[in-house]
Amino acid sequence: MKFDVAVVGGGPAGLAAAYKLASAGFRVVVLERGREPGSKAMYGGRVYTHWLDKYLPEFRKAAIDRWVTRELVTFLTEDKAVTLETTTERGSFVTPLVSFTSWLARLSRDAGAQIVTEITVDQLARDERGRFVGVKSGSDFLRADYVIDAEGVNRLLLERAGIVERLKPETVAVGVKEVLKFESRKLLEERFGLGEEEGLAWTFAGYPTEYLPGGGFLYTYRDSVAIGVVMYLKSWDKLKTPVYDLVEKLRLHPYVAPYVRGAMLLEYGARMTPVVGINMAPPKFHYDGLLIVGDAAGFLLHTGVLIRGVDFAVASGVLAAEAIRESGDPSAEALSIYEKKLKSSFIYPQLEKFRNVDRILGDETLFRDLPIFATGVVNRYFTIDDKHRTLFEALRETSKETNVSLFKLLIYMARAVRNI
Amino acid sequence: MKYFTIEERLNANAWDVDIHKPHIVIKDPEKCRHCEKKPCTYMCPAKCYVQQGDYLVLSTEACLECGTCRVVCPHGAIEWNYPRSGMGVWYRFT
Repeated sequence: MKFDVAVVGGGPAGLAAAYKLASAGFRVVVLERGREPGSKAMYGGRVYTHWLDKYLPEFRKAAIDRWVTRELVTFLTEDKAVTLETTTERGSFVTPLVSFTSWLARLSRDAGAQIVTEITVDQLARDERGRFVGVKSGSDFLRADYVIDAEGVNRLLLERAGIVERLKPETVAVGVKEVLKFESRKLLEERFGLGEEEGLAWTFAGYPTEYLPGGGFLYTYRDSVAIGVVMYLKSWDKLKTPVYDLVEKLRLHPYVAPYVRGAMLLEYGARMTPVVGINMAPPKFHYDGLLIVGDAAGFLLHTGVLIRGVDFAVASGVLAAEAIRESGDPSAEALSIYEKKLKSSFIYPQLEKFRNVDRILGDETLFRDLPIFATGVVNRYFTIDDKHRTLFEALRETSKETNVSLFKLLIYMARAVRNI
Repeated sequence: MKYFTIEERLNANAWDVDIHKPHIVIKDPEKCRHCEKKPCTYMCPAKCYVQQGDYLVLSTEACLECGTCRVVCPHGAIEWNYPRSGMGVWYRFT
């Protein structure tokens, strides 16, 4: 059996590519190792829509649980919290990734793509001249003119093909998450002060990762919430709590617990997420017969509070499909059009713009000094005892008590605001 | 509110366990015996790696397939594969 295009991985990137190619009349097969598309899908909880409107406007018919209308960032310590909240226009939605992925799989199937599940690809197949000519699963060989690698962050196949090295702890974080179900949609809305279809996205810095690089998050789905912790792998040896208990500590924190009280645990999951964006990209995104999309290519923008994976994944899949359509033949030279497309789209320029963000976010002082200092100052300012402090006195006293130099912090913040 | 142990949390999930061929193999247990810090025991979100006496015991049944262990292993002692044909964790709500 021969296909025009074989796509490895039925996630947002691979399925977007398959949908576009099948719609253009290509014979496409998607090879998915899970039971169904979405079975291995895990993410934080949110999708930004600005670029989806351009690349996959059909998404508005997708299973969207809630639109994010409230955005919260909390500096959290053992006993203090300072929260910044803003309202937002409908620029992102929250929904289980499995819902989004299943929808996209249906769309691709309806367009004529074949989606084969329960197939684990072990190897990208090459001919004697090194060109990619299909994929191997066990002793089976599936031939295709083009291969799209959408295998995700672990990218074992690219490593086996000698295109990338083994992932380094500095390049990724691990996200661990619980999905908690409320008795009803109504109860969740009352708890979080949300209207129908309104959603909340909440990030936490400090306590969730024991003041190490990373943070906590909470997203409201329709009648459940996703709560989790993202922890940079490189700081693991300073962690005092094993990573599997961090999310429980956040759920039970006195500031968070009242929101999720009584909710039932539905699922517990984990996945790695790129944290250095374009710095973990393979040397090239196109080879003879091969294109690389989504997380495997490092197409995930992470700036601490804002994490965008799905819009990058979908757009890269769409661009890969366009590149194949316009290439004429599967040579690397013809496929270099993919790189041109990445560079003239938002993908490459935006990742390039935030190339240095991990140097700021990887700095441990940000995650320790800022939450401790910010919560300290605000708490002091609002405390009336013998003294009634000015804001400056609150700053000075907190600086003295926490040993955080105000000057250092300001310099640090100045660097951060330019880069994150 | 009650603390959920890692075992309780894992029990909430659906799995299709590959009893014949574990997808993670420790290539060289000697390396683990001499590994001082054992990041896998700390960083695996499913607590698949447990130190028992002198030995590191790996159970892959409840693996969440994140791949962290392979990345944090300082000795490259972990061989990690995607589970075969539909096996492994089956996410339904995330």
